[in-house]
Amino acid sequence: MKELIKHARELLENGEVAAVIGYRQVSAKRTKPVIITDPEETSALVFNEYCLNNLAVYLTKARIKLLCKKNDKVLKLAITAKPCDVHSIVALIQENQIDRDTIHIISFNCHGVAKDFGFDFNGDNLASKCITCETHKPLYYDALFGEVKETPQASDTALARIKEIESMPHNERFEFFKSEFDKCIKCYACRAVCPLCYCQRCITDKTIPCWIETSSHQRGNFAWNVIRAFHLSGRCTGCGECDRACPADIPLSLINRKMSMEAKNLFSFVSGRSLETPTLVGSYNEKDNNELFM
Amino acid sequence: MKIGVFICHCGENISSTVDCPRVADVCRTYTGVEYSVDYKYMCSDPGQNLIKDAIHKYNLDAIVVGSCSPHMHERTFRNAAVSAGINPFMVEIANLREHCSWVHDNIEAATRKAIELMRMAIEKVKRDKPLTKIKVPITKRVLVIGGGIAGIQAALDTANAGYEVVLVEKEPSIGGHMSQLSETFPTLDCSQCILTPRMVEVHQHPKIKLMTYSEVERVEGFIGNFKVTIKKKARHINEDKCSGCGMCITKCPIKKKAYNSFEEDLAFRPAVYVPFPQAIPNIPVIDETVCTYYKTGKCGMCVKVCDREAIDFGQKDTIHVADVGAIIVATGFKLYNIDKKSADSKYKGYGEYGYGKYRDVIDGLQFERIASASGPTSGEIKRPSDGRVPKKIAFIQCVGSRDDSKGISYCSKICCMYTAKQAMLYRHKVHDGEAYIFYMDIRAGGKMYEEFVRRAIEEDKVKYIRGRVSRIYEEDGKYIVKGEDTLAGMPVEIDADMVVLATAMIPQDGAESLARTIGIPYDKYGFFNEAHPKLRPVESTTAGVFLAGACQSPKDIPESVSMASAAASKAIILFANDTLEREPVVAKVNEDICAGCFYCMKVCPFGAVEVKDVKDINGIVYKEVAYINQGVCQGCGTCTATCLSKSIELAGFNNEEIFAEIAAL
Amino acid sequence: MDKQNWEPKIAAFVCNWCTYTGADLAGTSRLKYPANCKIIRVMCSGSIDPVFILKAFERGADGVLVSGCHPNDCHYNAGNFHARRRWDFFHELLDFIGIEKGRLQFSWISASEGKKFADVITKVTEDIKAMGPFTAYKKMNSEFTIDFPEEPSELPEPEFQENSDKETE
Repeated sequence: MKELIKHARELLENGEVAAVIGYRQVSAKRTKPVIITDPEETSALVFNEYCLNNLAVYLTKARIKLLCKKNDKVLKLAITAKPCDVHSIVALIQENQIDRDTIHIISFNCHGVAKDFGFDFNGDNLASKCITCETHKPLYYDALFGEVKETPQASDTALARIKEIESMPHNERFEFFKSEFDKCIKCYACRAVCPLCYCQRCITDKTIPCWIETSSHQRGNFAWNVIRAFHLSGRCTGCGECDRACPADIPLSLINRKMSMEAKNLFSFVSGRSLETPTLVGSYNEKDNNELFM
Repeated sequence: MKIGVFICHCGENISSTVDCPRVADVCRTYTGVEYSVDYKYMCSDPGQNLIKDAIHKYNLDAIVVGSCSPHMHERTFRNAAVSAGINPFMVEIANLREHCSWVHDNIEAATRKAIELMRMAIEKVKRDKPLTKIKVPITKRVLVIGGGIAGIQAALDTANAGYEVVLVEKEPSIGGHMSQLSETFPTLDCSQCILTPRMVEVHQHPKIKLMTYSEVERVEGFIGNFKVTIKKKARHINEDKCSGCGMCITKCPIKKKAYNSFEEDLAFRPAVYVPFPQAIPNIPVIDETVCTYYKTGKCGMCVKVCDREAIDFGQKDTIHVADVGAIIVATGFKLYNIDKKSADSKYKGYGEYGYGKYRDVIDGLQFERIASASGPTSGEIKRPSDGRVPKKIAFIQCVGSRDDSKGISYCSKICCMYTAKQAMLYRHKVHDGEAYIFYMDIRAGGKMYEEFVRRAIEEDKVKYIRGRVSRIYEEDGKYIVKGEDTLAGMPVEIDADMVVLATAMIPQDGAESLARTIGIPYDKYGFFNEAHPKLRPVESTTAGVFLAGACQSPKDIPESVSMASAAASKAIILFANDTLEREPVVAKVNEDICAGCFYCMKVCPFGAVEVKDVKDINGIVYKEVAYINQGVCQGCGTCTATCLSKSIELAGFNNEEIFAEIAAL
Repeated sequence: MDKQNWEPKIAAFVCNWCTYTGADLAGTSRLKYPANCKIIRVMCSGSIDPVFILKAFERGADGVLVSGCHPNDCHYNAGNFHARRRWDFFHELLDFIGIEKGRLQFSWISASEGKKFADVITKVTEDIKAMGPFTAYKKMNSEFTIDFPEEPSELPEPEFQENSDKETE
């Protein structure tokens, strides 16, 4: 922790970065995002198993412009990111939302986080994404802290859930998702918290013509949730923030996970893992699966 | 909005299964429909006048015609609308013939479907917006890629029409395969003798800029406005100083380190060379891979003998940019390499014929060089292995061609003729020699072609055997050709001194990558695709890019030349106007909401998407958005579906229009 | 509506260059196929958005067909390749959330494949008929009634109008 604070302080004092986006502790098992511009305040920075938020969501073009422009000089922006959050940053770089050169990534050796604030950190309360996590060390970073620790063992309940849904007949599946989506109140928290939902105007807000019925009736909810999932297909990096944000407990990341599995299965692609691999959307291979087509 | 609905009976083509008056009646009840009528022949003059009169009388803003396919008469009805003062894009066609009356029997079902099709078109037309044609300026200069006979012809024709030409050839000299040939069928005139004057003409033409030993690296832009980047490879000879005396070539001590590819590897060439004596331009090239200077830093014999100080070891590749309005692709062919193929090749090869193993099993082009007066044997027919005159030659046709199991299904078209010619030449030169030709069929369509083959058989006593060869092996200095005579129904064995394989024509190396560079489609073999196999055979599907010669499919010389002249005239037609009118079906970005993810740029097949800076009132860039170049955009709309925030709309097929159609299903 | 006399409603999104022309050829060749399918012409299969499919379902379609040029035949070179990736994903997504794969079908039909067009339409229509009306989707309540386009009185009312607002729990 001391190294993190020291590093952040140096960055700010030396004028290398305009701000550090990080976490601060608010109670024993809860942290909050914080944007620090004053070197004195860096002492509040922490990194632990309760740093749940994916801070990449703050890396919007507008915010970077606002924060980083200091007296006609454009400084870098430092961000503390878990290895999985780095995936989101990679995806954002690939989608031209940020420039790798303008971002200073402070990352950590990570052994998982709790599924939500207030839970003890152990195998039972491990966040779903951490169970299958393969990147305990970040793939891209400018500074790396934290010691290597063992991730608690846990069973992959999300995968079991997907298999369970897949084993249901279509009409049951449809009813299941219909009732799940029916809970949606169209608060768009899932959209707000997703780092990859950076559109200036979401498709659902487009009214002429109306793409997705905005009322939260069954049909509108269904369309919204399908299109949300589709827009993230092949792009979602699996941070799971939508799940945490949804007040109605719709299993959003379950669908995202299923689509990520399809991306891997159909196109051997995992989003946000490499800056060199072309994005799945926007590229093609002449040898792509053609079975679908008569 | 006032909409006019016009239902065509198409004689009885539509009205026999669709109750046209009922369709017109139902349409009349739809909101916005001011006038609805059915008529026997809408596309006829009275029919069109009916439309025009209705537009005037009822003050219509848009019309929907229920008739045949829009591919048939959309233009007719749009023109009618224009002459009555309506924007042509306020016309919708419902396809009541091809998609309804002709494919359904049941009158009730067909009529109902016709009503629904009309309803969809009416809903769409309500949301249509008037569009105006896009005008783009034209750069009146042509790029010709490939300096074979097709490229030469295309360049000369265009230049003689008064337009500038940039001719790019990847080899050090123009001339292509035709310059390698000995004599040409069916007249048996010497190939070099008819080609060389053309090559000289190209070289001396004031309108033609010749760039040999160069390759097209990149093509940007669109019809009328291409920007082409050309890499001129270093010759290591200063072209301005070189007089072409050839002293460097004579004195070069490297004699036997590199095969002469012009002689189809039947001879060697020095490290500094011109491909052949009549090369245009007559300026040598230094081959870095074998030249001693590049290996040890020593030698420099050529520098010593060159009194013009033209040798420039330090010369680098240079990049040139040319603005052109049209591109003629004439990259030609190469021969199927009949050697054994690696497992990943799409071709199988002919290991059983021993090509590459037996030196006297050669391909057609090698025989051309042996028969050529300027070739390695000065025109005497000799075996490459020992220089003996072969007394018996077996020619095998369709090696590679028409053989699915080897990877090629098509006929290479010229082999029947050139094999007959080669057998004839052999018989003329070696009077006691025997020529056997194994063939599948003789395809001699063409002026004087069949007569030519008959002459080979009847006058020159070439022996034709109908059947395939299964194996060739060496025995006592002879090549035993085992095959089958299917007409006699028995196996045959020929103990030949030499075997000539008429191998298939395949596209030049790099044809597919060039196609991607230019943005033109190609077939599974790598031949470039024409826009329409019958009616637009010399145009590619990319506007402003034309095809000539064997890069499109196997062709003989007269066909290549006529295609080249056709391609040149296409370019000249394009240049006859100062500006170009394009259909306004193009995509447009809503800059206010574009988030700048540039997925559109990644999916655009034409490179039409550019980055645009949006500036605030003080001129400071506050965001980057996608911008679609209207001249480049071909209107496919792939970007519109890819755009996540739906910030792109395709004019003429915008989302509002499509949603209206879906709603009216 | 009488189940016996039920006829499926099918939307076909086809590209202008290959499948639409192929459908024209089916007509010129006088091939017969069921009248349930209505074509919506777009310029390229690459320009068909998945939302179009949902819209079609919302508007009462029982099945949807998407068709374009064969790979490497695209008039625009690569539109169908991008489309292929998109549909692979969308199809899996719909399948996962419980929409049978047969409801949304895909094909490549070239301009010369009039016979194939007729065969595909026949097959899709039969598949959808066997699956029955897509009531699951139509039953989803919405507070909207569809007020256009006006149906002439002699035509049966579309089914999705009957169900509106009845299923509110």
